[in-house]
Amino acid sequence: MIRDPQRDLVASSGAGQAPLVSTLADDPDMAELVQVFVQELPQRIAAIQEALAEEDLERLTSLAHQLKGAAGGYGFSPITEIARLIEHQARDRMAGEMLRQTVDELADLCRRASAC
Amino acid sequence: MSHKQTVLIVDDSQAIRDLIPARLKGLGVHILAADSGAAGLEMVRLHEPDLVLLDVNMPGMSGFEVCQALKNDPQTHDIPIIFLTGSDELLDKVKGFDLGAVDYVTKPFDPVELCARVRAALRTKALMDMLTNQAQLDGLTGLHNRRYFDERLEQELDAGRRYNRSVGLLMLDVDHFKKINDEFGHPRGDEVLRRLANILVTFCRSSDVACRYGGEEFAILLAESGSEHTFQCGRRLLQAIRDSRDLHSVIGRPVTVSIGAASVQPGEGRMLPSVLVDSADRALYAAKNKRDCIIADTGMTSITSAAG
Repeated sequence: MIRDPQRDLVASSGAGQAPLVSTLADDPDMAELVQVFVQELPQRIAAIQEALAEEDLERLTSLAHQLKGAAGGYGFSPITEIARLIEHQARDRMAGEMLRQTVDELADLCRRASAC
Repeated sequence: MSHKQTVLIVDDSQAIRDLIPARLKGLGVHILAADSGAAGLEMVRLHEPDLVLLDVNMPGMSGFEVCQALKNDPQTHDIPIIFLTGSDELLDKVKGFDLGAVDYVTKPFDPVELCARVRAALRTKALMDMLTNQAQLDGLTGLHNRRYFDERLEQELDAGRRYNRSVGLLMLDVDHFKKINDEFGHPRGDEVLRRLANILVTFCRSSDVACRYGGEEFAILLAESGSEHTFQCGRRLLQAIRDSRDLHSVIGRPVTVSIGAASVQPGEGRMLPSVLVDSADRALYAAKNKRDCIIADTGMTSITSAAG
């Protein structure tokens, strides 16, 4: 099996069912925005999963790219890292099991994302 | 810098358009946002922001295409652009600089870094604005200088040709100015020019361009102004100068001026800077024979106002 060191790192850091709390949880200027961002995560994930199911890799690349650029800014660096992985895998047309697994990991992280 | 600077965000991601204003809150800048390259381009032209934060990767018109369009347009050429790019897209960063961007910020961005880069770009923009402004102003009176006037004259005539509009010009010269300098000294002569400049500024509409043409000679460019309107403007200006106690108090007796008025309209003669300036100059020369009056150069006929 081809191992991806970056992915192992991300997977190990975010293991378990513990909530992924935004690093901006204590920033009063950001609280409301982070909340909105978290509320919209299920939609984003649904769109990404749909693109994957339809094997629309171009759309998947673009959605992952957007999430990558935004998540870190809202205090969710682990989501940015996984999204980056998906963007690259989808862009390189690495469809199949590996990409599916990465998307599952992203979905898991996003489910656990919490504003506070 | 006294006015609030404006930053335009162009990014297709709502999350980014929400995040950046929150992060730039401390800078006290006015923030606008556009959700596509095409909308961004339109907003730049409409609002002329002091800085554009431009996403590279957008569906439709990309950030690079927007940048190119802005840099190719003289109206928007000098507006600085910071690209918002993915951290792992080295080629994008390099290409951004090649296209004329001043900086880039990688997404996801660190808020402190974002603020620092935005602040630096805005500071440079404010200094550039100041230099441009000073290069266009006359040091003594604060009016526009001759160089700026020449540029604007050409632009107005271009616009006149394109949109079928007349352009008017008033040339104004202080009567017996040498005598004022000789009798009262140059500082007093300078004060006459400054106070006269104040009258011109108050008199002008925002679309008019008042400038010190040289020495004791001034010019006022009147956009969308035919011969009749130009002449009436000149008459009102002459009267305002006659009525200005502020001006006459400098030397304790009336300071008078002579004014030459001219205009060109599309389809009637050539709309060239030299044609308009020569025409106004001719009228001014005729007015100088009489002093304290206005004369219009309307082709063959000249109208002289009743003095007093």
